[in-house]
Amino acid sequence: MNALKQLFKGHDSPANTAKQRLRVVLIHDRTEIPAGMLELIKDDVISVISRRVPIDRANVTVHVDNAGNENRLLVDIPLLAGDNRRGASRTSIPRQRSS
Amino acid sequence: MQSVVVTVTSGKGGVGKTTCSANIGCALALLQKKVVVIDGDIGLRNLDIVMGLENRIVYDSVDYIEGRCRLRQALIRDKRAPDLYVMPTAQTRDKTAVSAEQMVAMCDELRKDYEYIIIDSPAGIEQGFHTCLAPADRVLIVTNPEVSSVRDADRVIGLVEAQEKGPAQILINRLMAARVKKQEMLSMDDIVDVLSTELIGAVPEDEAILMSTNRGTPVALNGRGPAATAFHEIALRLTGEEVPLRVQQPVSIFHRLFGKA
Ligand SMILES: Nc1ncnc2c1ncn2[C@@H]1O[C@H](COP(=O)(O)OP(=O)(O)OP(=O)(O)O)[C@@H](O)[C@H]1O
Ligand SMILES: [Mg+2]
Repeated sequence: MNALKQLFKGHDSPANTAKQRLRVVLIHDRTEIPAGMLELIKDDVISVISRRVPIDRANVTVHVDNAGNENRLLVDIPLLAGDNRRGASRTSIPRQRSS
Repeated sequence: MQSVVVTVTSGKGGVGKTTCSANIGCALALLQKKVVVIDGDIGLRNLDIVMGLENRIVYDSVDYIEGRCRLRQALIRDKRAPDLYVMPTAQTRDKTAVSAEQMVAMCDELRKDYEYIIIDSPAGIEQGFHTCLAPADRVLIVTNPEVSSVRDADRVIGLVEAQEKGPAQILINRLMAARVKKQEMLSMDDIVDVLSTELIGAVPEDEAILMSTNRGTPVALNGRGPAATAFHEIALRLTGEEVPLRVQQPVSIFHRLFGKA
């Protein structure tokens, strides 16, 4: 939701608000995946993935994307930089191939 | 005879199906087409009063379907256009009075004599809608430029496509150019974009509609205002002519008083 808001900042005329809200509601209507269901899916994804790797739970996003006749579930899971990992927090160090 | 059944429907009620059916019927008839407009809203008939023919009803479509009259007797001739007929429906029955098969059979009879059969469908996605959809060659889905009716239109488009009735086209009604310009109202492009469905035309909000409905004279019969013009353009598009899409601007008081065109 925040990402959506950000994306359309500066275009927040009443007509545009209406259009963006319609876009989102129609995706859910067409896929028969209610918006609240995405929150449940998100919780499931977090619990499954975090068993294996440390993830940034607060910033996981799940949404349905619609392109033409195709709908896909897009899940974005930011990884947490662990002690021995080169992560986003140390961007000054260039990425290197491991091993 | 080459004949087309055009079903005019919507998801949300009150968006202007009856107004559009009546006016498109009149506009087609003024193009010298043989036209019949069927009231498909059994139990809530309104096409007759919108067209000013309410005092001429003797029989209705349910009488014909149940064998109490012949097809011709259930049709009201509208003398204001060369070949325009209206088929009223029963006011005291419900949607179960006519089945989809019966509607298809009735339209097949009418196809022998009429080039355009316009069906004013009830709103919604219940039986009445399916009955009116069954004989359709083309489907016009009326929506207002407002979120709930656009959302419901999308649902109906889905059902029309699932039944392989179509092509479905959107008819935007009650568009206000000034509010679109101020970005207060969804535009034609916005609606086409979110519904990804072709547009047959956009009819502006026009106070002449209220006046004409009070009198029972559809604007398309003799009005020259923005809504009347939009209905004539939609009728032309239905006949296959290419008319560029545009938003009809409201006419100024000056034009209303002194203008001729
Ligand atoms: N372009 C317009 N400008 C102004 N008023 C309009 C316009 N189109 C329709 N109206 C008004 O909107 C109201 C509803 O129209 P109408 O009865 O045609 O809708 P409907 O979709 O057939 O409704 P229902 O779902 O109940 O059958 C009427 O009062 C009509 O006069
Ligand atoms: Mg109606």
